[in-house]
Amino acid sequence: MSAEDWFREDRLPHIFCAGCGNGTIINCTLEAVDSLGWKIDDTVFVSGIGCSSRAPGYIKTDSLHTTHGRALPFATGVKMAKKDFNVVVFTGDGDLSAIGGNHFIHACRRNIDITVICMNNQIYGMTGGQGSPCTPKGAISTTTPYGMDETPFDLCELASAAGANYVARWTSYHVRELTQAIKNGLQRPGLSFIEVIVQCPTNYGRRNKLRDVQSMITSMKDHALLKEKRDRLLAEGKPIPDDMFVVGTLTDRNRPALGVKE
Amino acid sequence: MKLVIDDTRCKGCNLCVMVCPYNIFQEGQQPNQRGVFVPGLDRPERCTNCRLQQLYQRRLCGVCQTICPDQAIRWVQESPFEPQKVVIEY
Ligand SMILES: Cc1ncc(C[n+]2csc(CCOP(=O)(O)OP(=O)(O)O)c2C)c(N)n1
Ligand code: SF4
Ligand code: SF4
Ligand code: SF4
Ligand SMILES: [Mg+2]
Repeated sequence: MSAEDWFREDRLPHIFCAGCGNGTIINCTLEAVDSLGWKIDDTVFVSGIGCSSRAPGYIKTDSLHTTHGRALPFATGVKMAKKDFNVVVFTGDGDLSAIGGNHFIHACRRNIDITVICMNNQIYGMTGGQGSPCTPKGAISTTTPYGMDETPFDLCELASAAGANYVARWTSYHVRELTQAIKNGLQRPGLSFIEVIVQCPTNYGRRNKLRDVQSMITSMKDHALLKEKRDRLLAEGKPIPDDMFVVGTLTDRNRPALGVKE
Repeated sequence: MKLVIDDTRCKGCNLCVMVCPYNIFQEGQQPNQRGVFVPGLDRPERCTNCRLQQLYQRRLCGVCQTICPDQAIRWVQESPFEPQKVVIEY
């Protein structure tokens, strides 16, 4: 089997816009899942509402496309009822951290044995580009026409603080590293959280001087700071540029977990 | 193996053009019947995977396929056998 065999060919091409990175993240996830020898019949994908949350609809496994923000409670239910199943959640920054924020911290606290992949395009993509809790300072959205003046969430720090066993961040440009991080997350008992900074050319790039996909990718690449480099800067007492975000494995530990296969 | 772009899936984002180490993908110059500028292929037989997949029995490189958000890149068996000139670049 290969990653291609997990796609519902009859549903492709998908509805994502040209250049949207969500499709890349599905590729990386399916490559990771396939490389572990997981079976279609033992795997469940769960999602909420949003462009990102449409991902399970293109995959052959059973799936739950739930209500906005509630993917994690549904996934928790599936995992508690069927511990032998592999449960993977696709969610968006709005789905996970705005309407679903409370579920997020409690799923991390419970350290339920699922893998959560957040496609963070830093905007509400599906509904036309409203600001989300992850919209960076200064960014233009339909609800922040003069620029966002709130401080965004750091989803990875939130997940680590709330108790998740494995936390990593990459971008949809870093396909190799992302696939490996997802693979690590899938194998780690407890909640694994993988945040992927992803381009939404339609509702983010267009309003933020990143009109074409290439400039969005270049900007993501240029603003990604490797964790190792960040740690080195810290050790040397040098300042961390505040427009950069850290990528790499941020937490990897073994807190007691819930719903682990016996 | 032969590299192909499925032009019923490609949306012309040119991410493949950005990532291929051999610059095999070239930005499309003409829209197809769906209005999409599908990239052209410049000497695709240079692709690592085209040359070595059969030998290694696994996909090599493959970054273009992984990054392609529209699942439009794949390799097909060549049949009948199509002789190819292998260009080695240093
Ligand atoms: C209860 C409820 N409130 C609001 C909405 C409208 N709504 C649909 S998608 C969405 C935001 C999606 O943003 P995100 O999760 O970041 O997904 P994206 O589209 O950016 O991938 C909202 C507010 C809804 N569907 N249901
Ligand atoms: S609106 Fe943005 S997130 Fe939604 S499909 Fe289009 S590019 Fe992707
Ligand atoms: S597999 Fe690698 S070498 Fe071959 S076309 Fe794709 S990116 Fe280029
Ligand atoms: S990455 Fe895929 S969708 Fe984008 S231009 Fe290349 S083949 Fe087409
Ligand atoms: Mg979003």
